Amino acid sequence: MSDYAIELNGVCKSYRFFDLQNVALRLEHGTIMGLIGPNGAGKSTTIRILMGLVHQDRGDVNVLGYRMPEEQIIAKWDIGFASEDMRLYESMTLGWHINFVKSIYSRWDDAYAQLLLKHFGLRAEQKIKGLSHGQRVKASLLLVFARRPKLLVLDEPTTGLDPVARHEILRELTAVMVEEGRSVLFSSHNTQDVEQISDQITFIDRGRIIDSMDKEIYLDRWRRMRLEVPDGVALPSLPGVIGIQQTGRLAVAIANAFESHLPNAYENSGARVRAVENMTLEEIFVANVEHSREEVKA
Amino acid sequence: MKANVMLHLILKDWRLQRRTIILTVLAGAAALTILVIGGQTPIVIGTVLFFVSMILCACLLPMQNIVNEIKKQTLPFVMSLPVSSARYAAAKLVSTVGMFLILWLTLLCVALYMVLGRHTLPNGVIPMAMILMGFPLIGFCLITGTALVGESEGWATAAMVVVNSSYGLVWYLLASHVPSITQTWGGPVAVWNPAVFKILGVEFAAIMVILGLTIYLQSRKRSFV
Repeated sequence: MSDYAIELNGVCKSYRFFDLQNVALRLEHGTIMGLIGPNGAGKSTTIRILMGLVHQDRGDVNVLGYRMPEEQIIAKWDIGFASEDMRLYESMTLGWHINFVKSIYSRWDDAYAQLLLKHFGLRAEQKIKGLSHGQRVKASLLLVFARRPKLLVLDEPTTGLDPVARHEILRELTAVMVEEGRSVLFSSHNTQDVEQISDQITFIDRGRIIDSMDKEIYLDRWRRMRLEVPDGVALPSLPGVIGIQQTGRLAVAIANAFESHLPNAYENSGARVRAVENMTLEEIFVANVEHSREEVKA
Repeated sequence: MKANVMLHLILKDWRLQRRTIILTVLAGAAALTILVIGGQTPIVIGTVLFFVSMILCACLLPMQNIVNEIKKQTLPFVMSLPVSSARYAAAKLVSTVGMFLILWLTLLCVALYMVLGRHTLPNGVIPMAMILMGFPLIGFCLITGTALVGESEGWATAAMVVVNSSYGLVWYLLASHVPSITQTWGGPVAVWNPAVFKILGVEFAAIMVILGLTIYLQSRKRSFV
């Protein structure tokens, strides 16, 4: 068995106006990875490639030890996939959908499905067309969770949901992870959701993976330093600092590899360090994307 | 552990479309019962309604069973199941063609019964009826293949327009250029001359080519959903 639930190496896919470039991604068994990127960054294309729905032009894709897209049928027995654009048959009831999926998956967990119906406030006899957007998302996730898959691939499942529905889904997602060895790839442009449940974070922008790391390391390494710069003092260029924004005597330095000696280095240059602050994942995301775009331009 | 997913997909489609099949069979059967009344007007009305119900079904089934799956975004749900795009397409083709064949064969049997059993029309009409019934089948296969390969309502609608516009032309060409068939269709005996077999053979070949091309083009797709 492969060491990773998901392993992408040098994956490329070209469209007329978009290129997925040399994507490398690894998801360890039993972990939750948040795939964060702006709209059109390539999150859904990456996910469709690893589900075998889109064939890569180059590169290797392995999911649960199976080569994709060639071995997608066998791999999909153990993958639970739900995407934001996934809809159920409107004229049929949720119960009909449950019976349909159940007839395919022998591992279907009826007791868990009943529990999820209760947790999500759904009724099996309800027709899909009568459900709200939030209820439809919950219904789709119920059909995925009760299959008891080894790997969950969720493409923006919380998009367009109200805070209560989002909370219910994230809570259930966390509960699902209690089962040992289950892995989750969760794409979103909502950093709050990802920060709440992920172990690992991967940033993607304009078809390129710009960073991939353990969440705690991320939060630990990124810092914002607020500086006061007297007239005549020039701030030095320090390793680990990816950007400085200066307005008059006040400057903000962003570090993506913060070390305790960085504030001292600024103090030694004549500037005064007024504060060293932790950054939220959203701030890190924005700074990372901007830095990556500047690097590409340069 | 491994269920036959293709079979489940086919049965799912049949359950979803059963209302359309039943309604069209009933409409076709109703059209044929008008023929029983006898006389020129009921025969014309019954025949027209009979073909309208078949042509309607040839348009409705691909739209509801294939295009709606894309338009209403239920395709990602199906593709989340253990099935490849090639197997999905094969299941879709079997379910859609199967559903139409049920209707087509039912109406064919009823029509033959009307001619052979109840003598509503002369037996000489049988070869012509077989040839004419082949056109909606070819049209249906063309619309189905286009809907599956084109993955859009636009392509499917274009195919429908082309197919429905060509019925009149094909029937005209048949009536004006193949006298060996049209001259015998009012007779008491069905005449199976070489022209009949040739046209039926061409129709069969056209169906095979359309379905084969659909499977071939579908298997070459690199992006699905």
